[in-house]
Amino acid sequence: MTARAASTNGQGGIRASDAGLALWFALAILFLFAPIAVSILYSFNAGVVGKQTAQFTGWTLDWYPAAWNDLALRRSVQTSLYVAFWAALIALAMGTSLGYALVRHPSARVRWWLSGLTYILLIVPEVVIGVSLLLFYAVTGVPLGAATLIAGITPAAIAVTALIVRARALTLDPRLEEAAADLGSTRSKTLWFIILPQLLPAILAGGLMSYAFCFDNLVVAAFLTTPTVNTLPVYLYGSLQYGPAPSVYAAATVVFLFTVTLLGLAALCFHLSRKPGRARPGGD
Amino acid sequence: MSANPPIDATVAHPGGGRANARRAAPARWVDHGFAAVPTLWLALFFLAPLGFTVVYSFGNSLFGAVELGLTLKNYQTALSGFYLTTFLRTVQFAVTASALCLIVAFPVAYFIARKAGRFRTLALVLILVPYFSSFLVRVMSWQILLARGGVIETILNFLHLHDGPLDLLDTKTAVFIGMVYTYLPIAIVPLFVVLDRIPGPLLEASRDLGASRWQTFYAVTLPLARPGIATAVLLTAVPMLGEMVIPRLLGGSRGVLMGQAIQSQYMQSQNYALGSAMAVLVLIAVAILVAALARLTKGFATVPA
Repeated sequence: MTARAASTNGQGGIRASDAGLALWFALAILFLFAPIAVSILYSFNAGVVGKQTAQFTGWTLDWYPAAWNDLALRRSVQTSLYVAFWAALIALAMGTSLGYALVRHPSARVRWWLSGLTYILLIVPEVVIGVSLLLFYAVTGVPLGAATLIAGITPAAIAVTALIVRARALTLDPRLEEAAADLGSTRSKTLWFIILPQLLPAILAGGLMSYAFCFDNLVVAAFLTTPTVNTLPVYLYGSLQYGPAPSVYAAATVVFLFTVTLLGLAALCFHLSRKPGRARPGGD
Repeated sequence: MSANPPIDATVAHPGGGRANARRAAPARWVDHGFAAVPTLWLALFFLAPLGFTVVYSFGNSLFGAVELGLTLKNYQTALSGFYLTTFLRTVQFAVTASALCLIVAFPVAYFIARKAGRFRTLALVLILVPYFSSFLVRVMSWQILLARGGVIETILNFLHLHDGPLDLLDTKTAVFIGMVYTYLPIAIVPLFVVLDRIPGPLLEASRDLGASRWQTFYAVTLPLARPGIATAVLLTAVPMLGEMVIPRLLGGSRGVLMGQAIQSQYMQSQNYALGSAMAVLVLIAVAILVAALARLTKGFATVPA
């Protein structure tokens, strides 16, 4: 058996099954990136009389200035940035609080309920949340606006942030907090000077992830936008019935580069959070 | 707020260690605050709206309004004729697409966890990056890829796998491609996590005892990967049950799924009561799925990992 022989000496030659797996992985990457490559490529497509076409009809740079000069598109980007910023900030605060309570609340029963709540946040389909919020605001008479949209898209982001912070909080060394208490620190001082610095990279990573999620949210936002508060994904979705203009792809390409930069920052924060013992009592 | 240093608690429970003493200490207002603030926020903007939907699903629909009541009429409508067909089709789509997603994802996760070596972090990042580009634009790009005379048609013709024009857009197949595509990254991650945790010596032991590679995979790797499989199915099938964008963009007017049907009850027909009942049906389908997956991982804690 060649497979057996190869496995016993640990570092065998390349086996057919391994090559198959590698090929499968490469195909999956190709599959995942093909639409992104297409969206970037087609932002340079000349198109036919200002409409996007499946055939690539020639190169042009016109769609970038066109996207910039499209006032409705520009305003939707501004709204998205604004909405995602506030939603991410709320998710950051609430998610950190929830993530910490998931690990450190003194009552096991409360921790159990909190983790149940966190998982429910992740398993309710977005369309159900969207219609429920629309109904909720309609019944309570709250007029739709930026605030109602921001509040509505926070729950899933809170769950994501809470799980990231929870993962970090699980690795905290309780002896540091006990040492702080022994040395006369109050609970709030310990939280601020000992726990928060250690959680900070996870908090930032959660916040940036939330920002990316909220910026891209389409389904919940589709139910809660108004003519004056229209986010980029909802604007694009609405414009589809007239056929997508290539300027849409230009705007999407710019936003993608922006998001990837943000993600790079998030990854850096998370990488730093993996290094143990960064925050030491006394060390600033 | 009383200052209660842990040292007192240790004296009170001399038998317990430090960690136990900390846990046994009385709850302080800060801890309750940390639990209460997000809970209240979520109760207001998540649980309360869901509650409204449940209540309204039993109400009588008037023109653009709902009279509260306790009728099962909406469920009767939602479970008959066109709506029943839509519901069953949605469940069938979600189950099939989720299974397809799992089949595509498993070898990828296995490769990253076991074979990628020092490139595993890079491999994981590559899997996750597309998930953060605009979902809508990616689905729109599939329209370009799948269109007549598009890239896929050219490639298939070139490889002689297909001859002539390709009519994939606005079909079931296109919707499946879109769903597998969209949810592939979140299926790979939980599978990677479990496969990564299976200790190497366990697999070596299996082979030393004479199992072939396939036997090892079937008898050792697959059973130990059960929690990851369950998580992957959950994270893909649940959003698929409510998916409304992919079917509209890639499936055309044929084969409406539950997400679109619910949306049109709210946005076009203004029948909030029927829409609520359909939303509750989706939640019930999710609950059944969760219960089934819980059975799949039942007793897993007793399996040595």
